[in-house]
Amino acid sequence: MSQVRNLPENPEERIAARRLRIVARSKANKREDGVDAVDNVTKEEPRKSQEQVELSEKRMINLHRDGTELVTNIQVAADARESQRRAEMYEAGRLRVEKLENEAKSSLEKFEEITRKWTEAKMKEIPQDLRDCLNSQQQLCAQIIEDKNKLIHELQQEVKLSDDRYVKNLKKQAEDIDLIIERMEDQAKFLMSSLRDELVQIENSFEQERKILLTGNRKKWEQHTEERRHKEMENVMQRMRRMEEYEESLQQLRTTDAEEYNMIKFKLDTDVQVLQQKLQQTKATFQLNQEKLDYNLQVMKKRDEENTIIKSLQKKKITRLQDVVSSLKIKCANEEKLSREENQKLTEDYTRNMQQYKDMQQKMRHFAAIDAKKFEEVWLMNEEEVKALVTKTLDTDRLIHEQLLGLAWQRPPMAFMERCGPLKNQRQAQNTARQTAAELLQPVGTSPCCLGNYKEASAGPGYTCESGVGQESRSSKADKTGNGGKNSGTVSIKTVKKLLELLCDEAGFLIESKLLKLLSPLEKDEQCLMKMDSIFTALGIESQEDVQKLVNFFMEYWQLQGDLAQDVSAGGGGGGSPQEEAGEWTSDLMNPNDVLVALKSFTACHCRHRDVVAPQGANMLALGGRDDSEDAAYWKSMADVIPEAKVKVWDALETALNKYHTVLMDRCKLIKDTQSLKQQNAELRMLLHQHANSRVSA
Amino acid sequence: MTATISKAPWGGTYPPVAKLNLAADPRKMRRIIAEDPEWSLAVVPHLSNICLQHIVRNFEERPILDKLLPSHKDYVLERLSTSLPLRVTSNLISDEGYWKRCCQKRWGLRDVSAYGHSWKRMFHERHLENIIELFIPDVTDPRLVLDAVPLCRDYVTRLNISQLLPPIKEPQAQEEDDGRDSASDLSVQGPSVDHFDFGILLDKLSRLEELHVVYRVKGCGMNFEWNLFEFTYRDCELLARALKSCTTLRVLRIHQSKVDDEKCRLLVNNLLDHPSLRELNLSHNLVGDRGARAIGKLLTRSRLETLTVYDNNIQGPGARAIAHALAKNTSLLSLDLRLNRLGDEGGQAIAQALLKNCTLERLYLGANEMSEPTATVLSQVLVQNQMLRSISLACNRLGSDGGKVLEEGVSHNSMLLECDLRLTEVGQESEYCIRRVIQNNKNRERKTQDDSVM
Repeated sequence: MSQVRNLPENPEERIAARRLRIVARSKANKREDGVDAVDNVTKEEPRKSQEQVELSEKRMINLHRDGTELVTNIQVAADARESQRRAEMYEAGRLRVEKLENEAKSSLEKFEEITRKWTEAKMKEIPQDLRDCLNSQQQLCAQIIEDKNKLIHELQQEVKLSDDRYVKNLKKQAEDIDLIIERMEDQAKFLMSSLRDELVQIENSFEQERKILLTGNRKKWEQHTEERRHKEMENVMQRMRRMEEYEESLQQLRTTDAEEYNMIKFKLDTDVQVLQQKLQQTKATFQLNQEKLDYNLQVMKKRDEENTIIKSLQKKKITRLQDVVSSLKIKCANEEKLSREENQKLTEDYTRNMQQYKDMQQKMRHFAAIDAKKFEEVWLMNEEEVKALVTKTLDTDRLIHEQLLGLAWQRPPMAFMERCGPLKNQRQAQNTARQTAAELLQPVGTSPCCLGNYKEASAGPGYTCESGVGQESRSSKADKTGNGGKNSGTVSIKTVKKLLELLCDEAGFLIESKLLKLLSPLEKDEQCLMKMDSIFTALGIESQEDVQKLVNFFMEYWQLQGDLAQDVSAGGGGGGSPQEEAGEWTSDLMNPNDVLVALKSFTACHCRHRDVVAPQGANMLALGGRDDSEDAAYWKSMADVIPEAKVKVWDALETALNKYHTVLMDRCKLIKDTQSLKQQNAELRMLLHQHANSRVSA
Repeated sequence: MTATISKAPWGGTYPPVAKLNLAADPRKMRRIIAEDPEWSLAVVPHLSNICLQHIVRNFEERPILDKLLPSHKDYVLERLSTSLPLRVTSNLISDEGYWKRCCQKRWGLRDVSAYGHSWKRMFHERHLENIIELFIPDVTDPRLVLDAVPLCRDYVTRLNISQLLPPIKEPQAQEEDDGRDSASDLSVQGPSVDHFDFGILLDKLSRLEELHVVYRVKGCGMNFEWNLFEFTYRDCELLARALKSCTTLRVLRIHQSKVDDEKCRLLVNNLLDHPSLRELNLSHNLVGDRGARAIGKLLTRSRLETLTVYDNNIQGPGARAIAHALAKNTSLLSLDLRLNRLGDEGGQAIAQALLKNCTLERLYLGANEMSEPTATVLSQVLVQNQMLRSISLACNRLGSDGGKVLEEGVSHNSMLLECDLRLTEVGQESEYCIRRVIQNNKNRERKTQDDSVM
């Protein structure tokens, strides 16, 4: 059994060693693979050799497993047999023990019987009986002994049998061991040969692969060397050519350089001679200068001494003057302080005076307003009274005419009656520029009436200027503008509107950026209006008139631009031709680029006007009062509502009427007398009647 | 018996004296000897060569080696006699070539890989083994052994004792020649020891790691007697005490020595809490249930990694004891209980222990009279336990039902690499399925190993 146990160890060890070798080889293969993989990472496809290695490995594992199983099969079979044998032995032993026990029991019984019989035999006294008894005893004993012997024999038989079995087992085991050894050897041989085969195959595959790689690499190598050779040849040829070129150029350079060198040498030689001469000259001058400078030095030294003396004197003077300066500085500071105080005081005074002046102005304005108001009120009251009187007078007149005179009454012209309030400056009738713009920019639907308005407004020069100074110029200008307005009146409102929009777009720089930001949420029209407003303020355009002027200016300007070739005069006199063309005047002419230029020239023009106008405004404010020259006439016209002739008629009428009145009074008295008489009569008649009646009754 | 003993212990035998017949030696007749690299035409040899030859001749008296130049050293070592006494050479020469020559001279061709590829170790171990194997109690002087110890101590790591001789009997005992009587005789007035006493040796070998002992006589032939194969209680006691004293021992193997319950208990008692013991092998003995119980105790009180109790007489109760210990054990890797009589009782106990154990990797339960119930429990184990790598159930009557149950269990396992089901009557289908699962597991394992190597 020890052989059975010991021997498999060797193969196991060998197997283990072999396994290690296989693993090592596969690892080595893998390492090679790794190297290869590094070489050609790009094409990582399952290679033949790798497949071969894996296949071989699998085959060897299978072979190995099968072989091991074949060998161990014997051991397993032996184990199985052994366990079987043991079980049988156990069973046999059990049977044997049972049998022995039975035997022992039966023999014990027999033995007891014998011992019992001994006692019986002792009681027997007859020798025959005793002999019989002894004989039977002997027989019994012999039986027992025989039984025992039989048992012994059986057991010995069994022993012999088991000996045989043992020998057989031994033989069998020896055979098994031989078989195991044989199989192991076979296995080893087989494995060895198959391993060798696999190795050869693997090596073949590797060899093949290597060959393929080698040929591929060689081909590549040859290709590269060929390429390199070509390139080198080319390079060499190029180099030769270049070398020749360079040599030629070198030769050329050499000759030219030599010539140049000779020339330069010659020139330099002459230069050297000249310079030597110059050197001699400079040396001479140097000598001369040296002497001069020596003399100068002496003089300078003397002067220096003098200077030192003067310097000391000056220093003394400087110290003195510095003292004076410091004292003056102090004085100056004091003066400055004083003047500053004074200045402050004066500024305070000034501010106070300014304040007072402003207050005064305010008061004055206040009073002026109050006065005007009061004046208006008084005026209104008086006017009302007068009007009432006039109407009364007129009524009376009418009555007189109609009732007394029996004449048809005609109402005298009474224009003033329709008037109300004090006579006023009619300038306010003018629209502001802004309103004009607003009107213009209104939607087209309302434009006709607007246009009418506009025309009326622009055509109506009905304003009077109170200022005596500016009146004539103003009026003349107004005429002019009126004329211009007439001209432009025919200009379509559309065109004006377009122009304004253009202006709005082009002159955006005149608008404040803050305003633009504020305007952004508003509507387009509104925005445009606000922009126009700010642009007008920037340009100084205030009234509708100014707007008109602006429009006209632009019209003219563009006409000038457009009809420059036609040589049309651009004055107010030449209004005929623009008037004709105004209708055809289209937006094509409106070149946005010209707008700024035009605007510039317009402002140049306009500003001059303003300069002239500006003092007028100031005067107007100062005068402030109103014209009362017409008041008397006004009132008088009111008073003269009944003409002188009519008054005379009235007087005559009065006298006649008075007479008529007295007559009437007389008549009245007479009527009364008659009436009273009539009454007395009636009373009397009554009394009579009563009397008559009462007597009867009585 | 005399035949076995008459094997004379190894002694020096000198090579035969060279004959003076020059003509017989072809070398003397040739003028140029091309195959000898050291041959020179010069008739007079170098003085150094002569000196070296002298050193070689007188090496026993004057061992001069370390002071030589390397080339000279090689020259000397190549020419040293293999029959020099060990006391001179063992601690002086470390050259493997010399020891290889010694080994081959004495034992012929041998596999040196079993000795860690060290010829010197092989020589010393085998030398000591020879001494012990030929030791006759009361006849051989123990000093022979003790003399060898200081020489071999540093080189011996394993002792594989393949026989132990009993003492020579008195003539009267020879005459009686009766197995039963001789046993009683020995116990009454026998020699001082029954076999070689390891106690004098083991505590001195400071590097001993493996001890393989067999109490029997090799090649007794027709001189067979039962008492040649006796492992007495006294021997056991001595051995156990010696084992306890040897603290470096890692592997203990006692084969075919009729170790029964009593001896087993005695051995185990002395091996409890052994500092280095890793492998215990008691194959081919007579260990029964009580011995098994003792082994179970050893399992709980040592760090055994391999336990082999192949071919013994352990039955159900003993298996239960081992299973109980196994459930708590965390060091055992391999358990071999082949060719015992565990039966289903023991098999189930072991399998249930495996439900708790998670270190065991190899389990051999071949030829143990087990049947289907064990297979049922084992299939549960296979589902749950993922440490088991190899399992052998050969020569158990599991039947086709047991095979099916096992198949189901194996199909849930991914770590099992070996499953031996020969002669178990499990049915071919189940066997095929199990084999396929195991093949898959193996492939996976190989792949992971390859990956780890890469």
